[in-house]
Amino acid sequence: MRSASLQIHLGFKLATAALAVAGSVVLLMALTRLIPGDPATVILGSRATPEAVATLNARIGLDKPLIERVFTFFGRLASGDLGEDVFNGRPVLSLVLNALPNTAALAVASMLCAVALGLPLALFSARWPGGKTDRMVAFLSVGFISTPSFVVSVFLLMVFSVHLRWFPVLGAGESGNLGDQIWHLVLPTAALAAGWVGYIARLLRSSLLEVLGENHVRTLRAYGVSQTKIMMKYALKPAILPTLAVLGMGFGELLGGAVFAEVIFNRPGLGSLIYDAIRTRNYPVVQGGVFVIVMLYVLTNLIADLSQSLIDPRERARLTSGQGH
Amino acid sequence: MTFNPTRRQVLVGGASLATIVALGGVHPAFAGADRTKITVRVEKDLSNLDPANRSGPIDLNVIWSVQQGLISFKPGSTEWELDAAEELEQVSDTEIRFKLRSGLAFTGGYGDLTAEDVKFSFERFITPDAEGKPVTYAKDWSALDRVEVTAPLEGRIILKNPAPALYTIALADGSGRIVSKKAFEALGKDIATKLVGSGPYVLKEWTPREQFVLEINPDYKGPIKAHFHQIVGKPIGEQKTAEIAFKSGEIDFTAIDPENGKSMAALPDASITEIPAIDYVWFGPNIEKAPFDDIRVRQAIRYAVDIDAILQGAYSGLYPRANALLAPSLLGYWKDAPVHARDLDKAQALLREAGHADGFKTKLTIEANARYEAIAQIIQANFAEVGIEVEIEALESAAYWALGENDASKDLELSLIKFNGKFDPGFQTQWFTSAQVGQWNWQRWKNADFDALHEKGGVTVDPAEREKIYIEAQKLLDESAAFIWITHNLNAFASRKWLKPGVLPNGNNWLYTAFTQATA
Repeated sequence: MRSASLQIHLGFKLATAALAVAGSVVLLMALTRLIPGDPATVILGSRATPEAVATLNARIGLDKPLIERVFTFFGRLASGDLGEDVFNGRPVLSLVLNALPNTAALAVASMLCAVALGLPLALFSARWPGGKTDRMVAFLSVGFISTPSFVVSVFLLMVFSVHLRWFPVLGAGESGNLGDQIWHLVLPTAALAAGWVGYIARLLRSSLLEVLGENHVRTLRAYGVSQTKIMMKYALKPAILPTLAVLGMGFGELLGGAVFAEVIFNRPGLGSLIYDAIRTRNYPVVQGGVFVIVMLYVLTNLIADLSQSLIDPRERARLTSGQGH
Repeated sequence: MTFNPTRRQVLVGGASLATIVALGGVHPAFAGADRTKITVRVEKDLSNLDPANRSGPIDLNVIWSVQQGLISFKPGSTEWELDAAEELEQVSDTEIRFKLRSGLAFTGGYGDLTAEDVKFSFERFITPDAEGKPVTYAKDWSALDRVEVTAPLEGRIILKNPAPALYTIALADGSGRIVSKKAFEALGKDIATKLVGSGPYVLKEWTPREQFVLEINPDYKGPIKAHFHQIVGKPIGEQKTAEIAFKSGEIDFTAIDPENGKSMAALPDASITEIPAIDYVWFGPNIEKAPFDDIRVRQAIRYAVDIDAILQGAYSGLYPRANALLAPSLLGYWKDAPVHARDLDKAQALLREAGHADGFKTKLTIEANARYEAIAQIIQANFAEVGIEVEIEALESAAYWALGENDASKDLELSLIKFNGKFDPGFQTQWFTSAQVGQWNWQRWKNADFDALHEKGGVTVDPAEREKIYIEAQKLLDESAAFIWITHNLNAFASRKWLKPGVLPNGNNWLYTAFTQATA
C-alpha cells in the first residue's frame, strides 16, 4: 500500500515532466514560426532569389504546416532521431551528444565549486551572526550575486589568460586529455560559479539561523553540546533542505546560464550550439538542443524533488502514509 | 626570530605551492614557437564543403585550399593564374579551351583529375539534382551551355552568350572548383562534410564547432606552394573573444575591428594589415512611398545628411567615403562621381518646393548593431535640423534580411544597407535592376536604361567599353537620388609579426596557400 502510494507519486511526477517537455517543444516550434528569417536566407546569402529560398525551405521541410512538423519531430524522436542540421545534413543527435558533455561538465563543476565555497561561508556566517565574518561574507555574497557572469568572465580572461597566460581562452580542451579539459574548465567554472557561491552562502545562512533558533537546539545547548557539533550534526541537515531544492532548479539555471560562459570562452557546449543555431535559424538544431535542455531541466528538478522527499522525514512520512502529492 | 610551522601550516603551504606550480606554468596553447603551424580565427564554423552549395567565404577559403580550379586568384590580387589547367584560351566570346596538367590526382584514392571531372563539376550548376532542385550557386554558371571533353585532359567550355565576368565570378571563384566525379558519387550527401580534392592542402580534421585542420598534401603536383605544414582554423563568433585570444597568443591571425587596430598594434608581436574593401554601405528611401516618390524630397535628404559626420562618428574617421556604387579597386570605378556636400539651405528649399516646409515623419530600418545604430542616430540628428523626424527600427540580422523575401520590403520607408561585393562590377549592379524590386532592390527604383546597361555590361568583353557602361549605370543611380552612399568599408587584420597573411582585396576571402612567413 505504501509502495503503491510512492509509485503513484512517482508516476504523477514523471507524467508531469513528460508533459512539460512535450509542451515546451511544441511551444518552441510554434514560436520559431513567428520569428522572421529562415535558414535558407542564411545558407544562400542575404541576396538569394525567392525561388532558391523556396526550394531550400522545401528541402528542409519548413514549407510544411506546424502540426505536421510537430508530428514529424515526435515521430522521429521515437527512434532517437532529432533531425538533421539544415546546413550539411549532420544528425542533430550527434551534435547534441558532442556538445552535452562540455555543458554538463561546466554545470556540474560550477555547482560543486559553488557548494564547496558557499557551504563553509554559510557556516562561518551563521556561527557568528552579525560579526565581522558575517558582514564580510554578506558583502562578498551580494557582490558575487550582483556581478553579471559575463563581466566576471571578461575580467578572468584579461587577468588569467591575457596577462598571466595561465589558462586558455578558447575551447574545451583536447579530446581524451583530461588534464587539458580541466585546465580549460577552470575559468568558465569560476565565472559561472561566482554568483552561486554568494547565493548558496546567503540562502544556507538564513536556513541555519532559523534552525539554530529552534527549541531543540536550545535544549542541546543547555546540555552543553558544543556549537560546532550543533552546527555540523544537528542544524546542517535540516537547514540544507531548502538549499537542495534550489540547487535542483539551479542546475537547470546553470545549464541556461552556461550560454554566456560558452559564448565568451568559445566553449563548444550545448548553450553555444543553440545560440549559434538561433542566429542562423537552424531550426532542427534549436529544437533538438532545447529538447535536451528541457529534458535535463525537468530531470534535475525531479531528482531534487525526490531526493528532498527522501531526505526530509516529514515528507517521506507523508508520501508513505498515502497522502501522496 | 624563529619559524616553527605547525602541521596545518605545512599542509596549507604545501597545497598552495602545488597549486601555484600546477597553474603557474604557461599553458601549451600559448607556446606559439612552432612556426610550421598557424592558428587562424574564423568567424563561424565550416558549414557545407560542397562548392556548389557552400554557405559563404569560410567554407570557400577551405575549399580553395583543398580543391583546384582551372584557374585561381593570385595572392592578394583580383587577377588570376593557371592552376589545374596548363593552358587556358578564350577561343571566341563563347568558347574557352583548356588543357589540364598531367599527374594531378584526387586524395583518398579517387584517381586522376581529368576533363570528365571538369565537365561534371561545371555542368552540375546547370543540371538540377535527382530531386529536380538546382544547386545554391547555379547563377554563377548561368551562361554555361555545356562542357565538351575532347581528350582525357582537354576540353571546351561552351557558353550560351559572352560572359566576361565568368573568370572572376565562377572559374577562379568557388564555383570553378573541380570535384571528383567518382568521390561525389561514392560519398552522396556526405559531400557536404567530406572534402576530396587535388589541391595543396588536405582537410585532415574537422571537429564541428571546435576546429578544422588543413595539412599539406604530400601528393600535390600543381604550381601553388603551401608554406605552412598545418593550418588550424578555430571558429570564434565573438569579435572580443577573438581579440582576447589573439592577445593571449592562442591564435596567430584574426580579422579585427579597424578601430582596435592601434591598440592591437601596440602588442609586441602583432602586425596590423588594413585592406580597403569592395562592399557598399548606403541608405535610401523606398521611392514608391510618399513623400519619397518626389525626387525633390530625395535630393533634400541627400543635402540634409552629413556623410563625413557619419564616417567620423560611426567609423572613427578611418573608413573611406563612397561616392558611387563601385569601389576604387574595381573595373568601372567612377572617380569623378559627385561628392554631395551637406547644404541645409538647399535641403530646406527643396522640401518647401515639394510641399513639406514643416518636414514630415519617417522610419529608418537598420540591422541591429552598434555601428548601424550610430549611423542611424547621426542621420536622425541631421534630418531633425530640416524638420524630418526619424524613428529608428533596429532588427536582428536574420529578421532584417528576411525583408528581402516575398516583397516584404514594400512597406519600408528608409533603409540602411550593407552588401558585400565581388570582383566583377556586374555582380554589384545586378541588385538595382527592375527585376530585383520585391527582392533585394529595397529602394524599389526602376530604370529601363539602367537595366539595359547592366545587361550590356554582362556580355561586353572589351574592358574599356565595360568601364564606360558601368560608369553610365552609376550616373543613373546618382541622378535618382535614391541611393546615398556611405563607405566601401575597410578590413583590418591582426597577425603575428612573423606571419604574412594571404588575404584577397575584398577582405572576406583568404588564400590559406598564400599565408607565408614574413621576411622582415
